[in-house]
Amino acid sequence: MTTSTTARADAAAPPSTTSSGTTGTGSRSTGTTSTHCPYCALQCAMSLTPTLPTPSTPAPSTPAPQSQTPVPGIPADGAGPGAAASGADVAPDVRPVVDVQPRQFPTNRGGLCQKGWTSASVLRASDRITTPLLRGADGALRPASWDEALGLVAGRLGALAAEHGPASVAVFGGGGLTNEKAYALGKFARTVLRTPNIDYNGRFCMASAAAGMNRAFGVDRGLPFPLADLGGAQAVLLLGSNLAETMPPSVQHLEGARAAGGLVVVDPRRSVTAGLADDGRGIHLQPVPGTDMVVLLALLHVVWSESLEDVAYLAERTTGADDVLRACAAWWPERAEGVCGVPADELRRAARLLAAASPARGGRGAYVLTGRGVEQSTQGTATVTAAINLALALGLPGRAGSGFGAVTGQGNGQGGREHGQKADQLPGYRRIDDPAAREHVARVWGVDPATLPGPGMPAVALLRSLGTPGGPRALLVHGSNLVVSAPDASRVVERLRSLDLLVVCDTVPSETAMLADVVLPVTQWAEEEGTMTSLEGRVIRRRKVLDAPGEARSELWILAELARRLGSTVDLPTDPAVVFDELARASAGGPADYSGLSHARLDAAELGAAEHGTAEPDDAAPGGTGLFWPCPAPSSDTTGQGQGQGPHPGTPRMFLDRFATPDGRARMTVVDHVGPSDDVRDEAPVYLVTGRVLQHYQSGAQTHRVAELERAVPAPFVEIHPVLASRLGVDDGAPVRLESRRGVMVAEARWTDRVRPDTVFVPFHWSGDGSVNRLTTDAVDPISAMPEFKVCAVAVSAVNPSADDPADRPTAEIEPSGRDRTPDVLSRALTSISATPPTDAGART
Amino acid sequence: MTPQPPIPQAHSPQARTPRVVVVGHGMVGSRFVEDLLQRRGTAPLAVTVLGAEGYEPYNRVLLSDVVAGRADVARITLASARDPRVAVHAGVGAVGVDRTSRCVLADDGTAHPYDVLVLATGSAARIPDLPGLDPLPAGVHALRTLDDAREIVAATLTATRAVVVGGGVLGVEAAAGLAARGLAVSLVHGATTPMDRQLAAGAGEVLAAQLARAGVDVRTGARPSEVLVHDGHVHGLRLDGHTRTPGEVVEAQLVVLACGTVPEVALADAAGLAVDHGVVVGHDLASPDDPTIHAIGDCAQPPGGSQGLVAQGWDQSRRLAESLAEGFARDDRVDARGRSGPSPSPGDTTGPTVHLRLPGGSDRPSMAVRLGTALASRSPGRGGTGPTTRGTDVVKVKGLDAVAMGVCGTRRTPDPASRTVRLDDPDAGRWVEVVVADGVLVGATCVGDPRIAADLTAAYTRRTPVPADPAHLLTATVMPTAAPASSPTTMPDATTVCRCNGVSKGDLVACWHEGGARSVEDVARATRATTGCGGCTEAVCGIVDWLREASPEQGTEFSRETDRAGEKSITAPKPRPARAETVAL
Repeated sequence: MTTSTTARADAAAPPSTTSSGTTGTGSRSTGTTSTHCPYCALQCAMSLTPTLPTPSTPAPSTPAPQSQTPVPGIPADGAGPGAAASGADVAPDVRPVVDVQPRQFPTNRGGLCQKGWTSASVLRASDRITTPLLRGADGALRPASWDEALGLVAGRLGALAAEHGPASVAVFGGGGLTNEKAYALGKFARTVLRTPNIDYNGRFCMASAAAGMNRAFGVDRGLPFPLADLGGAQAVLLLGSNLAETMPPSVQHLEGARAAGGLVVVDPRRSVTAGLADDGRGIHLQPVPGTDMVVLLALLHVVWSESLEDVAYLAERTTGADDVLRACAAWWPERAEGVCGVPADELRRAARLLAAASPARGGRGAYVLTGRGVEQSTQGTATVTAAINLALALGLPGRAGSGFGAVTGQGNGQGGREHGQKADQLPGYRRIDDPAAREHVARVWGVDPATLPGPGMPAVALLRSLGTPGGPRALLVHGSNLVVSAPDASRVVERLRSLDLLVVCDTVPSETAMLADVVLPVTQWAEEEGTMTSLEGRVIRRRKVLDAPGEARSELWILAELARRLGSTVDLPTDPAVVFDELARASAGGPADYSGLSHARLDAAELGAAEHGTAEPDDAAPGGTGLFWPCPAPSSDTTGQGQGQGPHPGTPRMFLDRFATPDGRARMTVVDHVGPSDDVRDEAPVYLVTGRVLQHYQSGAQTHRVAELERAVPAPFVEIHPVLASRLGVDDGAPVRLESRRGVMVAEARWTDRVRPDTVFVPFHWSGDGSVNRLTTDAVDPISAMPEFKVCAVAVSAVNPSADDPADRPTAEIEPSGRDRTPDVLSRALTSISATPPTDAGART
Repeated sequence: MTPQPPIPQAHSPQARTPRVVVVGHGMVGSRFVEDLLQRRGTAPLAVTVLGAEGYEPYNRVLLSDVVAGRADVARITLASARDPRVAVHAGVGAVGVDRTSRCVLADDGTAHPYDVLVLATGSAARIPDLPGLDPLPAGVHALRTLDDAREIVAATLTATRAVVVGGGVLGVEAAAGLAARGLAVSLVHGATTPMDRQLAAGAGEVLAAQLARAGVDVRTGARPSEVLVHDGHVHGLRLDGHTRTPGEVVEAQLVVLACGTVPEVALADAAGLAVDHGVVVGHDLASPDDPTIHAIGDCAQPPGGSQGLVAQGWDQSRRLAESLAEGFARDDRVDARGRSGPSPSPGDTTGPTVHLRLPGGSDRPSMAVRLGTALASRSPGRGGTGPTTRGTDVVKVKGLDAVAMGVCGTRRTPDPASRTVRLDDPDAGRWVEVVVADGVLVGATCVGDPRIAADLTAAYTRRTPVPADPAHLLTATVMPTAAPASSPTTMPDATTVCRCNGVSKGDLVACWHEGGARSVEDVARATRATTGCGGCTEAVCGIVDWLREASPEQGTEFSRETDRAGEKSITAPKPRPARAETVAL
């Protein structure tokens, strides 16, 4: 990125904090505040400048998604019901307009994608919920006061707990919540509700990576190294990650590997990211969906059989290598080809490329990175383990300039899994079944350890149990739009409907909020203070620039109020800085130790860096760009790094000396391929893979409310290979019907050879007829309990345009192959047989 | 060496520990032990394994890679079960089976009682009946065992000329491998083309050409008539049939015999079990003469025969382990109810196959063979009465580009229900054939195109829908792409230039002409192009230069600013690999 001379953030501009984050009084300020993007885990740095609109230039209002059913009490004209119901003094049309500018930071290097640039539009969503809503006897939601809403919720929760026990109330959190909220939610569930049943949507995205890394390394931090370290590597193996669309500015860090021809992308689709390996910049391996594990086993086989492994590293830093290497002897490349569909010689080439980049063989370093594509699988933990085994065989983890990592997805997907909203965890990434951990956390919380519940059900099991005999009868949802983002979504809707009480905290009338008995309006992103932990384990500050509209409140306040009304004596502070300090104490001595951090320290370090005018913030200037955990307080510091030298500097690179296992060695574990839970069969002969587009984020609750993004990608679509499409009579641009064992969807067909002819791809950001999660399976990984979003079997058919209801149409049978049925359109679309065959497979695509 | 393995404590006083004896510790026998342990969970089990070879199990398939120098001989050892319920007796062969007392007698004098006996004795190399081969002279080797591979590799250090006898898969791999080591190699094969069982003549000719390019002297239509031995060491081979000179002698210090295999059936034969080519077994893999005795792998002859492929042996291993485990579990339940009786034969059990999942939190994950797992769980195909084993018969030549599966070569018989489409392209070293029936691929042959071979294998093993016109299977299909834009002039307006911010060439042009932008900075400010990952910066700079050149009067006053921005911004755009929809990234 040396040629950038453009509007990317000026490197010389220091991060400004003129509306100093801790005061939280930004609504009238015209100053600029340094914060981070509301979306993905890259957490691009940005500067927000609110300006009050003048009467002559009315502020733009972002329309509600057209597909959204009008909600009683939420007029679409921008004047929230709060104004009418409670006489709120801040109406949306006089709220400041917020200008977004990118900011230099080691991760985004001054870049923003379209979502980031337009992120302020979400602050002005015209259907923003500005007052509590209660479902009335007529079935409609109506505005209510906080007192009425909280009184109702507390009363019903109390009654349910009294009648059916504390486990009858469940909590569902989110990976987008700040560290403070995630922590408070876990504490609320365990101390106020005393329910074991709390889990979160991170179970859908990070659980397999977490389980794999915990098992191998003793701790799970997605990237145990700064993202910018990738830049120096000679090779990067990227498995199941389309980061060029999901976190575009991160692509800058792949330039070094691309220049060396060393970017290896494993993806059943030729995604935008896979395209980065074109033109000699690397290799794209395009396996059959659900067989990434086989690719990894074959790569390890080649490394082993050709003696390319790091012998000294395996001997000094690992255990279990012998068994793992013997097991991979059964996966020679030709056998692997038969299962994964990747030519044996491409597997050999990729393995040799990675080995040549490894430090042991004199290379400049290599990284192995996994994403949701391989993790959202019933063998996700095993696949992550196979990737780790490969990285360990090459001697990469715990070495500067090389490593293994999982590319975390959600904004606070890292922090969200550390602070106790996970069914089996307490803050600090402690295990809830560990007596010492319970003792420590209970002391911080001021409760008897015996009163803390044990492990609860992981997300899919929790959702399945809702409203069933013995299952939870009430659910509190925070920061998650389950109806769109959970697998087998129709069943989720059915379970939510069977509850006695569904309470959803949200900013907008999301599909899940629309099912709720009580909707509580909450603050978002630029309306609140807090911290996020990025994909690198870097703890950074989220800052407030304006007040929330209407009566929207922080979840910290809501939880404290509910606790009070439920008669709890547990202290639930509402000031994010205070919550963080408590979180830090609770995490002290745990794997994810934040005890050396505070809002004040993070702010001071950033201000200090700004005053010193650090032109190109990097990790050589600790503090200016957040701090990496573990960052223990001197009293809990067992790393020795901080002792006698002031505060602990944080840990940008983990495992350099030892892994966090009892013996300090990384554990290698034998894994083998099993295959998808819902594999293709005669009735459903095509693989369905799901994913994302650049313009939308998760369930789209935010991005569908940004006009520019909606214009760019207004509707779901089905990527289908022309060979398959023509066999089925599905024209380019015509509606196509997909049916799995669980459900049906219809969307527009998009012909492309980016997908294999045995596979269709659908992005999952939509609800309704185009919701692909109606089709996905909720079969889960046996270790991580993560559902298999990424692969299932479907029947694909053309939609009869005369029929109206897609769900009522019978599935068209696949026609037998006609002997003289080659549509002209297909013939045009396909190249004729080439006169000279390729000399190698790579030339063909 | 104890005669019996230690029997772990049973779950309940009534639960019995099923005793399983496995004869043979090769690829299939060792895999079967893993499969059975996997399915048995933590329940009581006592497995005794007798392995005549003194080694740990190794990957026999890779022996040709060892010969070729592609794999290290020390690195083909396979995982073997480490479980207190398993006793492996390495270097101990079985010499007899007493079916009355259900006991296997070993060559070290020990006896091993069984409830279930599994024969996985494999097969031995067939040594042709030729003058000069009895006794086997120095320099002549089969390629069947680890020792064979080691000796061949040792021989390549001194030999300069080698002859491989037999042009099947193994012979072809060995010949190419020895040639890769620098030896002058002749491949002698009696049929007119190599691998004639799997490959039609046209495909075989293309493969022969590949071999010739690899440096192999392919002698098809020729048969060895005599092995010439001097001083106990081979020095040549006399040929018969299609020879260059009458009584032609091919010089060789190394002869590799790849003349097929003979199933090891002696033990079964002596025990009075039905033996044909191999040990006769039914669909349930049990001997029709004794339901407690099973045979799997190369030694077995199931209905429909065996091709000697490891995928078939592993598929049998998995199926037998599943049915035995189900039978044992049934016995457990009977025992638990206290109605213990004689153990029914577990081998003939039926029931749905279970899609294997790992037990939660297990540190010992599955060793299940994927290939065939899904297939066997499907309903049997047309007219099938036994388990569907399709997908286990893919033959792929290592080191050369040739693969055949299903209906191919000599297995191709006229069938009105199927359709065969062929691409015969010998000049380019390519030959592809697909056989389609009922809308799925039922057979394929592919020589000389590894990408297509991989795709065909995936389509064949998974029965995914084939194209309306099967001809589309013969080549890689590519969507039409716009020719790479050689200049911004020819680039369509709709082409996405900056993907991160969704900016098209048309957007850039509009902001120049209508928005008054006059520099890359202006364009970036107006459209946000270049402000994501920055990967499109060169392209945007090129388009800005083109716009400036197209309207010089407008650009003059801004040229200085642009110059300062750097040399790159005013160079012509590199011709980028434009796909239809983007030039960015």
